[in-house]
Amino acid sequence: MSGSALESRKEETGKSRGVHIHVNHVVKTFGDKEVLKGVDLAIEPGEFVAIVGKSGSGKSTLLRLIAGLDALTDGQLLFDGVPVKESQSKATMMYQDSRLLPWKKVIENVGLGLKGNWREKAERVLDAVGLLPFQKEWPSTLSGGQKQRVALARALVHEPSLLLLDEPLSALDALTRLEMQNLIERIWLDLGFTALLVTHDVREAVRLADRIILIEDGQIALDIPNHAKRPRQLSDISLALLEKNVVERIMGAPERE
Amino acid sequence: MKTKVVQQALPWLLPLLLLAGWQVCSSIELISSQLFPSPATVLLSAWNLILTGELAYHIEASLSRAFIGGLIGGGIGFILGMLNGLSRTSFRLTDTTVQMIRTIPHLALVPLVIIWLGIDEGSKIFLVALGVMFPVYINTLHGIRTVDAGYIEMGRMYGLKGYQLFREILLPGALPSIFVGIRYALGVMWLTLIIAETIATNEGIGYLATNAREFMQTDIIIISIILYALLGKLADLLAHWGERRALRWHPSYNIQN
Repeated sequence: MSGSALESRKEETGKSRGVHIHVNHVVKTFGDKEVLKGVDLAIEPGEFVAIVGKSGSGKSTLLRLIAGLDALTDGQLLFDGVPVKESQSKATMMYQDSRLLPWKKVIENVGLGLKGNWREKAERVLDAVGLLPFQKEWPSTLSGGQKQRVALARALVHEPSLLLLDEPLSALDALTRLEMQNLIERIWLDLGFTALLVTHDVREAVRLADRIILIEDGQIALDIPNHAKRPRQLSDISLALLEKNVVERIMGAPERE
Repeated sequence: MKTKVVQQALPWLLPLLLLAGWQVCSSIELISSQLFPSPATVLLSAWNLILTGELAYHIEASLSRAFIGGLIGGGIGFILGMLNGLSRTSFRLTDTTVQMIRTIPHLALVPLVIIWLGIDEGSKIFLVALGVMFPVYINTLHGIRTVDAGYIEMGRMYGLKGYQLFREILLPGALPSIFVGIRYALGVMWLTLIIAETIATNEGIGYLATNAREFMQTDIIIISIILYALLGKLADLLAHWGERRALRWHPSYNIQN
């Protein structure tokens, strides 16, 4: 129903919108605590990268730095070769809690911060996530999954060249999560933005990403490509294997004599 | 259907019985009709006051004081609360002073205010404004302070800043708290007005009561008390109505659910 609406938007813009991200020896400290200890990372335009790690490993901090929400302590962050602060590239973010404004109707939430003829744009994107019939509802009447769909629509309506996903699905039930993963993958395939997903769910990382990065103790401990065929199938055996590898690496591989 | 009527009538049963008892007691001179004029006498006096136009005259005087004083005090409290909620410098500069003045019971100023401003409108409006200011100030400040920081961060990410951020996120987020302040302030407003009008005035409902005391017209005193009750209730209803309209999005004001 919705793919066509999004594809037509892609044709309008006429090019891949993904941004190239260059993380150059980034350090972030909070007080005495060094949360990121010199992270180097390059992300290709249109790539879908998942960052996994235990809580407190610094993965969310890295995402917030890339989003421009916090300042770097040291190092360099470039979008298409330009420092993030000066970059024209648009990054939008989906949070774990949907952060829909409860005092705005669904459609107004999607159109937040848009100028000019926003309603038409917002309607189109809301349709793409399958929630157009709910446009006049208050957010408080929606289910958790629906709220995240609206949040996704709100992030997409700005036509981002980078979509940041900060554990957006971790509060959802398993079935809704699968649905949302399919939706996110389909929209990403349609639009070609760069996507950066932070998650503690390795299965989710493996299902969605081209590349899985493990952050441990403020440093990149692992960087594995994921060549599984798109769109990803639940039954794909290579995904299960990759998941097993990553989980074993995180938990510490069983000791061998 | 029948039970519904009974249910709705039930709260009124006790007051009606009391009224009837009062009427009977006065009619058979069980209690002094001089001290306790019967409800019928009170109604008759009220009717006479309406006919002479006296009632409307005094109500108008009181209402205009309440309205002007409330508007000035509420306006100052609101603006100050906003400023101090939004700007740390403004907070540092004024909050201590405001809190200091707040600890003075504003009615203790009555003698001084009469000397300064005389017994005409100025003194009444000043006292009402002073009384109304603090609850509005404190609740506005609290409302702004407690707006979810996540909403503000999200709004900034989607390009809201300055006035837009204020209009879309800060003000609506603070509104529930502001309304608590307004409703509380209305109570303070009437209380202040009653005291101020009883002590020094030559028109208004308070004057009606004080003047009636000189001539032992208990019926008119009772009318003034009822008037205050009615006006207070009316103001509260108006505020409640405004609250419901402005906070339709809020789950606890949502009538359908």
